[in-house]
Amino acid sequence: MLKYTIRRIIGMIPMLLLISIVVFLLAKAMPGDSLSGEIDPNNTNPEYIAEMREKLGYNDPLPVQYFDWVKGFVQGDFGKSTRYKMPVSDLIMERIPNTVFLGVSSLLITYILAFSMGIFAGRKPYTIGDHVIGGLNYLGLAIPSFIAGVFAIYIFSFNLGWTPYAGSVEVGLQEGTLDYWLSRIHHVIMPAIVLGALATASYTQFLRNDIIENSRKDFVRTARAKGTATSKIYNVHILRNSIIPLITFLGFDIATIISGAIITETIFTYPGIGQLFLNSVTTNDYPTMMAITMLLSLLTLVGNLIADILYGVVDPRIRLD
Amino acid sequence: MVNVTANEMNRQEKPINMSPFAIARRKFLRNKLAMVSSFFLLSVIIISVLAPYITTQDITKVNISQMSLEPGGEHVLGTDKSGRDVFTRLLYGGRISLLVGVTCTFLVILFGTIVGSIAGFYGGFVDGLLMRFTDFVLNFPFLVFVIVLNTILFGIVNGLWVLIGVISLLSWGGVARIVRSKILAEKENEYILAAISIGCKPSKVIMKHLLPNVLSTIIVQATVTFATLIVAESALGFLGFGVPQSIPSWGNMLSASQEADVLRDKPWIWMPPAIILTITILSINFIGEGLKDAFNPKSNR
Repeated sequence: MLKYTIRRIIGMIPMLLLISIVVFLLAKAMPGDSLSGEIDPNNTNPEYIAEMREKLGYNDPLPVQYFDWVKGFVQGDFGKSTRYKMPVSDLIMERIPNTVFLGVSSLLITYILAFSMGIFAGRKPYTIGDHVIGGLNYLGLAIPSFIAGVFAIYIFSFNLGWTPYAGSVEVGLQEGTLDYWLSRIHHVIMPAIVLGALATASYTQFLRNDIIENSRKDFVRTARAKGTATSKIYNVHILRNSIIPLITFLGFDIATIISGAIITETIFTYPGIGQLFLNSVTTNDYPTMMAITMLLSLLTLVGNLIADILYGVVDPRIRLD
Repeated sequence: MVNVTANEMNRQEKPINMSPFAIARRKFLRNKLAMVSSFFLLSVIIISVLAPYITTQDITKVNISQMSLEPGGEHVLGTDKSGRDVFTRLLYGGRISLLVGVTCTFLVILFGTIVGSIAGFYGGFVDGLLMRFTDFVLNFPFLVFVIVLNTILFGIVNGLWVLIGVISLLSWGGVARIVRSKILAEKENEYILAAISIGCKPSKVIMKHLLPNVLSTIIVQATVTFATLIVAESALGFLGFGVPQSIPSWGNMLSASQEADVLRDKPWIWMPPAIILTITILSINFIGEGLKDAFNPKSNR
């Protein structure tokens, strides 16, 4: 297993290098450069600008610039935001807790929904309940998240007034108090449901089919013959076997949540990484934009790696090839 | 035993010599949900294409005296904040959304099939190289890179084609993987060995012998891709990074809902595109499910 994991991680390195080169070249292809974030905006003397360009390494050959950029990135130095006039790393660190909070809540919602629906549908397949769950899943899969989000705001925030429609926490609350956390949960619940519903359908469908398949296997028949209670067969014998393949979904969820977060954070004006990314694009804040692009690509790569490794854990045959 | 008799009964009902595609067509025509969906999608396409003949309103005209009118009277679905007729924009928007969807799907399927079938047929080094390239493309977070590429290329080429190119460039990976796995399984058959041994060129083996046999998978994959890409286009339009704002598309129309007052008080501006988009995507998905079912020899419906 260790050998397989190490091989996967080494296999990821060329991919990482290629992606970093692409991101770097894209950054260079951007109209304008990140210089304006580093220099004194009031000093427009051409000599001063030329001197700063030289000093900051904008005149170096491309490979040198690339290695400088990689060195900076690894050390957590992402340059300075041209809009906020502060280091991009600080800007990102400020937003990351919000996005992580949103991602974790949405995963939690996915698991709760998928497990309750999947177990029910798997236990009573081809009944009305199963068909209703199947239909709901189908809708969840087909309706785009941004349409679901817009309708959710319209109905639950504006017409019913149940949830706030913007922000991540009410202003003026003391950090760390109970009210503060309740307010955060109140703000995150709607975006998390919209984001979480995205992944629910595939989980539910997988769990349902796996439970049906397992319930026909010999070990279940044996358990039945011994007189084990039906609920125990389903909740212990079958579920344990059906959950194992599900953990491989976790890695792919990271990629889904990244893309989903950009959309949901924008709809709910939730101050996270996704919203920061879109704002940086509209305001031509290239250093911020490139740092987030690289960061999100890195996360996707890590997500795929986790999925790969979990596959190896679940299915030992994969480790061999 | 029960299954066997059921199969035999079915066989007696059907004419004996039906090609797989004839059987599939029969199954598809009997699938009510898929037929209703096809009818709806076809109507949407026809109405969108004929938009200039159905409505005579000028889509670009900004009319300050008719801002944010409620539905009814001269404007069936009301007007938006710039005084443009929502119904007219909905028709023209359908044109763009469907055009982007169809063109991207065509490019994605074309490229994915070429890469997938070459990788699957040749195997070995070619396969390794092409599949690593596919992995590489699949590793980019789609939305992030579409937005970044769009920003760089915007202004250099016409906005609509930039979007089509960028979306297609980043989405063919999944199709390539699926086609490859199908080709890998199909080429183990003896008729392929026979075709190679009588001296068919690889291009002919792929085009004449392999592709027709994986065509059903490609068709199903095309419907799924079509739905996904329409969603992608409208999501980008909604975020403000799709086709240029001057061109109406369903996504661009939906982006009006980002203004709180439109979202809260003027639902006629954003609800029509939201509803028509959802129904269109649902119907494409139903058609896809119907096709999948029709091509599946194990299903007896």
